Parts: sequence; C-alpha cells; structure tokens
Amino acid sequence: MDKQIDEYLGRLKNELKGCDRSLIQDALADAREHLSTALDNALKKAPGLKQQEVWQSVVDKFGTAGEVASAYREAEVRLGSPLTSIWPSRPKPVLSRFLGPLADARAWGAFIYALLSFLTGLVYCGWAIVGGLFSLLALFFIFGIPLAGLFLFSLKGIALVEGRVVEALLAVRMPRKPLFVSPDLKWTAKIKALFFAAQTWKALVYFILQFPIGVLYLFVIGGLFVISLAFIASPVLELGFHLPLELLGAEAFTPAWLLPLVCLAGLVLLPLTLHLAKWAGTLHGRYAKAMLVKD
Amino acid sequence: MIENIDANKKFQKELNSGTAALVLLSLLDQAKEPMYGYQIAKLMENADGMIPIMKLGAFYPVLRSLETSGLLASHVDPSVSGPPRRYYRITDNGRATLGSWVHLWNRTRDFVDNILRGRTDG
Repeated sequence: MDKQIDEYLGRLKNELKGCDRSLIQDALADAREHLSTALDNALKKAPGLKQQEVWQSVVDKFGTAGEVASAYREAEVRLGSPLTSIWPSRPKPVLSRFLGPLADARAWGAFIYALLSFLTGLVYCGWAIVGGLFSLLALFFIFGIPLAGLFLFSLKGIALVEGRVVEALLAVRMPRKPLFVSPDLKWTAKIKALFFAAQTWKALVYFILQFPIGVLYLFVIGGLFVISLAFIASPVLELGFHLPLELLGAEAFTPAWLLPLVCLAGLVLLPLTLHLAKWAGTLHGRYAKAMLVKD
Repeated sequence: MIENIDANKKFQKELNSGTAALVLLSLLDQAKEPMYGYQIAKLMENADGMIPIMKLGAFYPVLRSLETSGLLASHVDPSVSGPPRRYYRITDNGRATLGSWVHLWNRTRDFVDNILRGRTDG
C-alpha cells in the first residue's frame, strides 16, 4: 500500500510542477495524511476486500492527482500570499508610495523579523555550533551516532519553526509540515537519509549565518529606526525635557533653528528605514526558502 | 452531450469553490474538539450528496487557506499508525465570519430559489 501512496504522491508532485515548493510540500503532506488514514480504515472495515479495490475507492473519493493539484493551484490563486492585500492595487502618488511602509503590514513584519533575528540567530547559531561540535566529538564514542542523529533531527525541527516565523513576518510561503518519513524505517536509516540530504547541511549553514546576519539587521535597521525616532522627538526632548541629542557617545544640544530640520530628517528617515526593512525582508525570504525548503 | 457534461462539471466546480469554505467552517463550528482532515472528510461523507459533488482532496487546500486567513487555527500531532495529523479548530474570527457567511448564503439561496421557482411555475 505504501508503494501505491508513493506512486500517487509522485504523480501529484508532477502535476504541481512549477508551483511554489512549500505548496508542493504541503499538498504532498495532506495527501499522504488522508490516503494512509483512509486506506488503513477501509482495510480494517472490510478485511475481505482486495487491496486494489480498496485503493481505487479511496482515490475515487479523494480525487486524482490532477484534480487535487488543480484544487491547490486554484486555492493559492484565490488566497494569494499571506499578508497580501485582497484589494486590487492602483498606481499611487509618489508621497503615498514613500510613506506607504508606515501602514504596510509587510514592512512592519520585516522590521520585527530584523530585530527578532538577532535573538533567534543567537539561539540557532549557538545550537548549530555547540550541538554540531558536541555531536562530532561524540562520534568517537559508542553513543555518538544516536546523538548525532538527534542533532540532525533537531535541525529539521528548527528549520520548520524558522519557516513559520519567516512566513508570518516576511509573508513568504514556507512548509507547514515536516516532510514525512515512514515510521517503518529503522532509526539508522532515518539518520542516514538525514545525513545525505543536502537540505540538512544547507539548514546548518543557514543557522550559523543567521547570527551575523541578525547582528547586521539589528545594527543597521534597528539603529536607523532608533535614530529616526530620536530625530523626530528631538524638539520635545531638548526644549521640553532639556535632554541633549546623543549620537555615537557624544551629547550635544541642537541649535533651536536646526530642530525643525532634524525633526524633518527623522520623519524622512523613518519610512526609509521601513523601506529598507521590507527590501531586506524580501531578500531574506528568498534566501530562507532556498536554504530551508527541499527542492 | 460531452460538452454538456463539461459545462455541468465547470458549473459544479464554480459552486464548490464558493461553498467549500462555508461547509468547512460550519462543520468545525459544530465540532466539539479539533478535527483532522480525514475526520472532517468522514463527516462530509455522512452529509447527503456531498461526495458526488466534490472530491475530498479539494477540501485540504481550502482548510489551509482558511487557516492562513485566521478563520481556523491548527496544530500537528503525531499519529501512531502513520504520518502526523494536522488538527483544525475554528477561531473567534472564524465564528464571526461564519455568521455573516450564513446570512449571505441564505440570501443567495432564497434569491436563486425564487428565480428558479418562477421559471418552473411560469
């Protein structure tokens, strides 16, 4: 029966050729979940029936690979990507386009991701380096292989979590379910498959690089954001609370005639920072998909 | 005749694309606990006339769409016998949306029924 399900999934994958990789992964996971449960139940209910007949009736109800693939394509077209507005876009004036990110969920999502990636990057990178080195050292001992296996499995789990964060904040479609591994496979075979999967090593590289990338995001995007807020608030802070503007460790009061210009600079810098965050988020989403989603 | 069958299929597909989300929201609203795809499919099998008009595989992408829209929430639990299962439940937003969709559905149904009744009466 597993062979028939695998063949069906092969046909479904073929029918979905050209679609988003995450959508294909989700469609295959859904189909596998349904077909294996439906087959299992049907065989239990009517043990006398031929397996081929049962399989045929399950597929008749579920739909052929072509029918199911077309349902996924249509649903994706109808819904579009997450956080995408359902309203048709019209050409907007320049000022509206410049200020647009202030009211754009995707820009704010990318901004939050940029700040968050410092923390997640620290955790991912720490785990990838410490866990990786520990597993490598443990390989010299008898318990080394299961430990290394656990480490590789953890990478798969973290990749799924990071995928959810990327989808929620950067609006890039990522897998919602891990790739299925048959429970009948021995654990040694599962570890072997993980070891030889390019995806495992790509995910490891992604996690290690996530820390320096997170630091860069925090300093550039977070820094620009703080500067823009400080500039905007400078008239109130300096005139109202007698707090000097502090930049790179140096404190200074701005001449009163310059304050409106500083405030204006802040008002320009804030949407620019969000434009930068959105652009970086788009690039990061593509990079995350290339590194964390299986071809 | 073949053309007629194709036209029927196309019309049925158009009807399904609008009603599938309503059906799924309604079933999950009535459910006492989160349900996975196959359980929802079994409920539909018990609903008269559902199976011939829509393939069960076509409901899964709608479930995912509803989840992305925030009308459903889901979590994955491992299964003893096979692949992990995704359990869906309706959210508060989903319940509110269902209420307005039911209202729209009733209006649409009454409107179509009135037109069709006129056609058969006339």
